Amino acid sequence: MAEAPSSPMNPVAETPESHVNGMTTTLPPGSAIKTKTRPRKAPELQTVERRNWLIHLHYVRKEFDVCKQLIREQLEETRGMCEYANYVQGLILRQEGKIQESFELFQLCNILNPSSVENIKQMARALFLLGKHRLAVEAYLQAEMKLDKPDWELHHNLGVCYMHLKDHEGAREQLLYALEQNKHHQTFASLAKIYLLENDIPSAINTYRAAIEYFPENAELHTTLGLLFMQIGKYQQAFEHLGTTLTFDPTNTRAILAAGSMMQSHQDFDVALTKYRVAAQSIPESPPLWNNIAMCFFGKKKYVAAISCLKRANYLAPFDWKILYNLGLVHLTMQQYTSAFHFLSAAVNLRPTKGHIFMLLAIALTYLDDEENARQAYEQAVSLEARDPSVCLNYAIFLKNHDDKEGALRMINEFEVRMVKFRQSTGADLDAEVIENGAKLAMLLGVDGSAFHKKSSHTRLRADDEANQEPVQPANEPPCNSPPPNEDEEITANDNLPEASTILPLEHSIDPAETENLDNKMKESELLATSHMHLMDEEPVMPSGEFLEEGNKNKLEEDLF
Amino acid sequence: MDPLFLALSCFRRRKFDRCIKICTELLSKNPYDQAVWSLKTRALTEQVWVDECDGEEEGLADVLMDDNTIASVARPGTSLRTAPPSSAGGPSQTFRPSTQSGRPLSGVVRPGSQGGRPGTMDQALRTPRTAQTARPVSATSGRHVRLGTASMIQVGEGPFINLARLNVAKYAAQQNIAKALFEYIYFHENDVRHALDLAAQATQVLEFKDWWWKVQLGRCYYRLGLFRDAEKQFKSALKLQDNINTYLLLGRVYIRLDQPMAALEVYREGLDKFPGEVTLLTAMARIYEGLHDLPKAVKYYRDVLHYDATHVEAIACTATTHFYSDQPEVALRFYRRLLQMGIYNCEIFNNLGLCCFYAQQYDMTLTCFERALSLATDRSIADVWYNLGHVALGIGDINLAYQCFRLALVSDNDHGESYNNLGVLEYRRGNLETARAFFMTAANLSPHMFQPHYNHAKLAHKVGDLQTSFIIVQKALALFPEHVDSKELLKTLETHFHTL
Repeated sequence: MAEAPSSPMNPVAETPESHVNGMTTTLPPGSAIKTKTRPRKAPELQTVERRNWLIHLHYVRKEFDVCKQLIREQLEETRGMCEYANYVQGLILRQEGKIQESFELFQLCNILNPSSVENIKQMARALFLLGKHRLAVEAYLQAEMKLDKPDWELHHNLGVCYMHLKDHEGAREQLLYALEQNKHHQTFASLAKIYLLENDIPSAINTYRAAIEYFPENAELHTTLGLLFMQIGKYQQAFEHLGTTLTFDPTNTRAILAAGSMMQSHQDFDVALTKYRVAAQSIPESPPLWNNIAMCFFGKKKYVAAISCLKRANYLAPFDWKILYNLGLVHLTMQQYTSAFHFLSAAVNLRPTKGHIFMLLAIALTYLDDEENARQAYEQAVSLEARDPSVCLNYAIFLKNHDDKEGALRMINEFEVRMVKFRQSTGADLDAEVIENGAKLAMLLGVDGSAFHKKSSHTRLRADDEANQEPVQPANEPPCNSPPPNEDEEITANDNLPEASTILPLEHSIDPAETENLDNKMKESELLATSHMHLMDEEPVMPSGEFLEEGNKNKLEEDLF
Repeated sequence: MDPLFLALSCFRRRKFDRCIKICTELLSKNPYDQAVWSLKTRALTEQVWVDECDGEEEGLADVLMDDNTIASVARPGTSLRTAPPSSAGGPSQTFRPSTQSGRPLSGVVRPGSQGGRPGTMDQALRTPRTAQTARPVSATSGRHVRLGTASMIQVGEGPFINLARLNVAKYAAQQNIAKALFEYIYFHENDVRHALDLAAQATQVLEFKDWWWKVQLGRCYYRLGLFRDAEKQFKSALKLQDNINTYLLLGRVYIRLDQPMAALEVYREGLDKFPGEVTLLTAMARIYEGLHDLPKAVKYYRDVLHYDATHVEAIACTATTHFYSDQPEVALRFYRRLLQMGIYNCEIFNNLGLCCFYAQQYDMTLTCFERALSLATDRSIADVWYNLGHVALGIGDINLAYQCFRLALVSDNDHGESYNNLGVLEYRRGNLETARAFFMTAANLSPHMFQPHYNHAKLAHKVGDLQTSFIIVQKALALFPEHVDSKELLKTLETHFHTL
């Protein structure tokens, strides 16, 4: 729409005059006929727009150098009065990243032609790109007033600006209005983002669904929808959408990670690893990727490889408590309790509100024979983690093993309560092993544990950590416990949810695994920044100084004689 | 006892001062005693002799006004000065930090391995010149300056040999003392021009059949910056006599001409003649390291260790490689070996501490760092604190980490990495403005790091300042073109700018 600048605004009278004057002087006096015809020709009158078409042509071909050259000539000729040249110059500068300069040019355009909405819109956009959202909103509103018919783009941009200003209500209104005018996938995406910011996942999902109806081949939309489905636990649908993404874009790393993590949760480690191999080509420095790969190895019982991968992930993302949590878990499995303790305590430091870490910490402390602290950690875990039954079970086992029968009874009851709630809320059952252990313990304590078995058809649902379960039997023998292979692996898949950082407070999610997905993501966004610093850290690994001398010490005596 | 015998004995026992004293006495009695005279020259030379074929640092002028390089725009992988090829093996820049020269961090500090080649005069004057040293501004390297000064500390009656009055032609003909005299002029007097004169005449006298003089001629040419002439002399010397030192010197010539491939070829020839020669292997490994071909470099370092199990540089470099490729346990073993060999300094304990930490030997970690701190010099203490900061991060103690980075800055306020990490910590605390300031400082202080640029760009993007973000992320990509996150950030920014 931009390429039709209106000429009336340009003060035509002045520009051509000089040329005319110049020519008159050079002309030989006496050619009366010519002097008559000359004013009629007045070709310079049109100069202002004369080469707009050429500028446009070069601009749309991205031939910016030629285009700039032309613009410069044009502006010299018209003394900066050519609106279109200024306009295109602004666009080119913006693409080169010089927003401030382009903003000034659009301002100039606006002065040249105050009636054009397009100019105001571009000004507003420049303001938006400069991060001055409030001013941008004002500019957009001004543009809107000048428009006679609604413009989806304008409303979309307004909505985005409102979103940046944290005015979700206004943003939603504008975006919905924009959608009425015209369906555009960006509008859908922005709208969904607002729903996510407001923690309204179902609405976000509906938005994406609507978007996919209009844009069935947009991989980005499918991926995001798939991730959202994963978040609410609808794995089947999630998988469908992620699969669609991968058909359209087989190297979409977000989709690969998400799909891989779902395969992992179905114990399909080899397939997941093949998927990750593809992803590793394009994102070799992604902490979530390495974490997931590690948990694949963990599932395949290749513990050393798992530790190695997790270490790398931790190196890349030192602030990610999930990686530390997994490291702790793997080390617990390897019966390296001190190492596990260190990783877990680091995880606790980074994320003091997560019950599961405390539970693992307690388990590590149990093995380190620090009964007092283990008890405290369990207390903390039970109070922080209000849903997961396995926490109570582990605590109960611990209490039982330390001859606190009463406490154990209390905990086993709590376990039962939580288990019932869990079944009601998710419709699925706990891991068979957890139930088994619960029943055993109940028997030992003399409670009726049969209730646990109610429907022990094991729908696989991960019960976090029963790392400690076995010791129920009085003899506290570590070797026999094989912790559940896969509980955390999913962790990362989602790292990619756009802007997830604020999506969900962790407590909201139902399934422990889910939560992890989520905030893992959030971590990601910060981490990126951080991870890098970690690398440096070893930088000083430099045996400096004296080595140098070593190198130079006189060694070649033969040189002398 | 015969004083001459005593002097010789002192010379052999490297008691040069005494030897010189006896010689001076003898010469005062009989100034024409050639044996004593020659012995005194040699003793004086030995005092200041250095091995030249290794570890030479180029001065600022050499680097900036360098017109010796063959190709100004070399193909990737054929020059020590170009950016790393993207497909280079080994860990990427994300895992292994790079030095200011843009090369991956090496295991040892060698001349030139830290400072590297500045691209512009501005950078050259600024970067390596930290609070501690203004060294790079000097044009000649420090060692040569030191050589020259030896002739200034004269005892008693003026210089031992007055070069200006020396009849070069006469001495060139006397082969028995000419070599000692040459060494004296070259090392003790540091008068390359006279040395060249002597060498040229001597080689003429011998009808160009003596390899030793040719090598010396080459060395003089090399010092004078006439690399092509030096190359000719070395090559012709090699035709007469295979000598490891000559190979090394020829290799250096090629390195100065920025022809690492030719240098490698020379070393390889040398290895054919002298299989398993450690110095040649080391030189090759260094070149591969400079070419960013770390797997090959490590291969050669391993070869070195095969022939010389106590080679410090090889051990340290192998250890570093293991450390950065996720094998801290193996690296730990190499560093322990260094410790067993008697190296006892801050760096070794620092490295041991880091390896222990990443290999989860927690009991040793802090002890090692305590040692490192107690042994640290002003230069290295910042790095130790910095690493301690990372250990603190590793155990999740953010406050301790913060303090450690601060302490690193106290001891070295040019420590860019610490600034960057402080920025990240501030970012986590939500102090975006402070974080931004830290990132900017870090980027200023260490122009070789891409991290502060990326972090700054990310921050700017988050607060909506897309223009700044765009400009800065491009800087990050210039430093590390393969960085995925930067590329993605740039892509989103571009789409922002392209939409109408």
